[in-house]
Amino acid sequence: MSEAFEQGVAALSAQIDAKVASYFSSCIHCGLCAEACLFYTETHDPRYTPIHKLEPMKKLWRQEHTFWGKLGKAMGLSKPLSEADFADWERLVYDSCTLCGRCSMVCPVGNDITYMIRKTREGFSVAGYAPDGMKEATQRALTIGSPMGVTYKTLSAAIANVEKETGLHIPVDQPGVDYMTIFSSMEIVNFPEFIEALARIFKQAGVTWTISSKAYEATNSGIQIGNKEAAAELVGRVVNAAEELGVKYVISPECGHAYTAIRWEGPNLIGRPYQFEVVHILELLDQLKAQGRIQVKDFDHTPMTLHDPCQIVRRGGVIQPPRNLLNSVADHFVEMKDHGVMNWCCGGGGGVSANERAEELRLEVFKRKKSQLDELGVNTLVTACANCRIILEEGLEHYEMDTEVISLTELLAEHLVTDKPS
Amino acid sequence: MIGEFIDGPLWTFSLSVFVIGVIWRIIAILKIGVKRDLSQPRGSSGMGALRALFSRFIPERTVTSRGRLQLVAGYLFHLGLFALLIFAKPHVDFIAERITGFDWPAMPHWAFIVAAEFAFAGIILLWLHRLLNPVTRLLSDLDDHIGTLLVFLVMLSGCLALAQSFEPLRLLHLLLAELLLIYFPFSKLMHAFTFVLSRGYTGATMGRKGVNA
Amino acid sequence: MKQSASRTGFAAVITRLIGAVLIGLLINPSTVSAQEPPAPSGISDVRVLNPGGELWRDVRQRTAPVSGKTQIKGVDTGVLINSNGDRWRHFRINQLIPIGGYVLGGVLLALLLFYMIRGKVPVEGGLSDRKLLRYSNYERTIHWFIAGVFIFLGLSGLILLFGRPVLIPLIGKEAFSVLASAAKEGHNLMGPVFLLALILIFVRFVRRNIYQKGDLTWLLRGGGVIGKKHVPSNFFNMGEKTLFWMLVFVGGTIIVSGFVLVSPSLGHTREWMELAHVGHAIGALLMIAVIFGHIYIGTVGMEGAIEGMKTGYCDLNWAKEHHDFWANEAEKNGEALTNEEVACLRGDFERLPREISVKEAGK
Repeated sequence: MSEAFEQGVAALSAQIDAKVASYFSSCIHCGLCAEACLFYTETHDPRYTPIHKLEPMKKLWRQEHTFWGKLGKAMGLSKPLSEADFADWERLVYDSCTLCGRCSMVCPVGNDITYMIRKTREGFSVAGYAPDGMKEATQRALTIGSPMGVTYKTLSAAIANVEKETGLHIPVDQPGVDYMTIFSSMEIVNFPEFIEALARIFKQAGVTWTISSKAYEATNSGIQIGNKEAAAELVGRVVNAAEELGVKYVISPECGHAYTAIRWEGPNLIGRPYQFEVVHILELLDQLKAQGRIQVKDFDHTPMTLHDPCQIVRRGGVIQPPRNLLNSVADHFVEMKDHGVMNWCCGGGGGVSANERAEELRLEVFKRKKSQLDELGVNTLVTACANCRIILEEGLEHYEMDTEVISLTELLAEHLVTDKPS
Repeated sequence: MIGEFIDGPLWTFSLSVFVIGVIWRIIAILKIGVKRDLSQPRGSSGMGALRALFSRFIPERTVTSRGRLQLVAGYLFHLGLFALLIFAKPHVDFIAERITGFDWPAMPHWAFIVAAEFAFAGIILLWLHRLLNPVTRLLSDLDDHIGTLLVFLVMLSGCLALAQSFEPLRLLHLLLAELLLIYFPFSKLMHAFTFVLSRGYTGATMGRKGVNA
Repeated sequence: MKQSASRTGFAAVITRLIGAVLIGLLINPSTVSAQEPPAPSGISDVRVLNPGGELWRDVRQRTAPVSGKTQIKGVDTGVLINSNGDRWRHFRINQLIPIGGYVLGGVLLALLLFYMIRGKVPVEGGLSDRKLLRYSNYERTIHWFIAGVFIFLGLSGLILLFGRPVLIPLIGKEAFSVLASAAKEGHNLMGPVFLLALILIFVRFVRRNIYQKGDLTWLLRGGGVIGKKHVPSNFFNMGEKTLFWMLVFVGGTIIVSGFVLVSPSLGHTREWMELAHVGHAIGALLMIAVIFGHIYIGTVGMEGAIEGMKTGYCDLNWAKEHHDFWANEAEKNGEALTNEEVACLRGDFERLPREISVKEAGK
């Protein structure tokens, strides 16, 4: 057994807390979690049953915390974890799980299976069993500052572009302002209109804000690959920059797991609370609208629906703001049948989009999102996560569907009432 | 002689193993502990825990249709079993005599029979589902089957002894019940107690985030 | 309660039959039930008028109205002696039990002989590498549900019917009384569960058991047993449909009569109980005999038969041979799956050559 493997087992063991123990003690193998999981419902492959993906952690729990497990181990009757367990389960843990959280919502005994998959990845990543794409993304994030290799140069070019287009000034490294915003590389590279939208909205609302040249990356490959050291390092950069600048709030952009990283996991990763608060861009926009600091005009009459990014809505708790905002600019907004906290994952979260090996499976399970859209007969899909956006566009193209995907923030910016004509 | 053993020492032993075992398991889980959450809460974790404890009794809508058999059979079994465990006259008398010292109103005989029929229908359908559905077939282990079998045998032996006229039948039922009590803390049957913890923990986490789970 | 005249159906036939037989027997006084004490020795074989004869005749109620008046109000409380009860008891002991035993034994013997002669009927052309989904998880669950409950009820019922002549000599009276009590309680409690199972089966399968074109042909050709030519069939063949409707009607009779038997407090008379018992027993023996055949065919009788109900999927060749109208339609709709795909879907991963997805297996 290699040293990495031994460390992996130790890391996995360290992840077993009272919650995990209560979950494994309560699971009576009813299989209902499978009925909520995108990967099972679209393939009917029983291996994609969420709790089944946790078999290595369960084995370890059993051997370390239960009577029969400890007895079996002592008598040499049961086999301890082996490299094969990690090798055989890698695809289940990484390719067929986006940490979307639907399984955790339906378990009759209340198991948070998503929580356990996140923890299982801690063991797998240390043992070296993670998809190459995700390993490389994490490397780039740690060394370059972005999983996609986006440097500050790229960002500043995008910023310069926006300043030219809008005539607005985008403050960088400005201390003492209220808000610091971060971006996902996906937004910087693929959807730089988001930056423009922010600039215009904040100008109108009179929000003082800045971007940090040292910490502009919102995504956290450490969370996706499941490595708390990497995750802590990445989120730590944002925290340090924000505290150095002395901002009151850090804005989490249109990126799913970025919100999980900075809002919920961050303080626990770095071991202390922040000296600022975290607000999601949608929450902020909803607040600004409610305060009358921004106003919107003219309804968009196109029928449209909302794709709820898993990490923001179900796992993040930002449920009502996107609906409030969309309702304010669209008068033909129809909810999907499964909407809000029970909407279906786009299939690309949790690192799956960075995993080339998982592409075929991801496109296969996109059938679920396709059927949600087909049921509604709507051709415009609004969302608030850049990763979802790319994945949705790829899926729609694969199934030759005519649907347009737009960002909620950008849509809002288009309807913004400004003091001077834009 | 064997009857005296079953009625006497084995009863005391099995009940003790059950009580001590259940408490031990729960404490063992709690002792492992959970790291304190340092993030800013949006909602109340206490309310979330309490809410999830009860909300998970109602299955989520999409899973209700996909898991209809398990839902119906599961409730038939659990409700039937609890009703007859706690309110069937022979059990009320037994518990009053051997454990509590006081009794309570028992349900009429016909209700006892109906509850038992629900429980039987439920457990048989659930066990068949466990064997035939590819998902549960993949997940199920020996513990699941032994647990189901033991509960079923206790129920069956109870049913066979319903006339309450033959000692061997009553003793068989009591013996199987005692074996079940001994097996209980070492098995998944503990879910009857640990579900409070698992629902509570998840409810707390989600409630903290402001999500009704 | 009036005797005989208003009864209809097979009960009347049986009653008249028994009545005829017994009346014949009664003419010969020495064959009447053993309740009469033997003549004391030393007394000549001359008919002596019993001084209490008239009272006895009245009490025995052969000619007088069967029910009298009593202070106690209730069902049958005015009936001092139920003459019919004796007829019923004779029927049970002398006809139902022996004939029932011969029928069941005969069916088992016939099946054994059939197997020895014909053997397991193989699938023409052998098994293929493709399968069709035949029964969903739900359908398999309710089938095995009714099967298990039926077997339990059958066994406990047979103990109650045949226990005295068959089991008491084997295990003795005390052990049998424990067994019989257990069997009775179990049988009575599981009966309504059988009702639930039957309802589930009915609702799910009734549509596929409606008579369709080709069913009569199938029946006339004995399902292919008569002659060598292939006999086409739908999802369920006429034999299966017959079993279904027998289950519904004979099973229904068993259930209704069972309810009558298990709830004497509902206010019916002893004669209804006797009727219910006869109906229940004959219906049950009939169903058990037929189910013997069903189990035979489904297990050792035909190759590929049990697979559908065990795994949910059946071999394509088997389907085309036995249920070709359905199989051809399904194949045309692209419903046929490869064996590997089925293995994936069922979680039988040992059968797969390597780690593949469901989609890959389907290619």
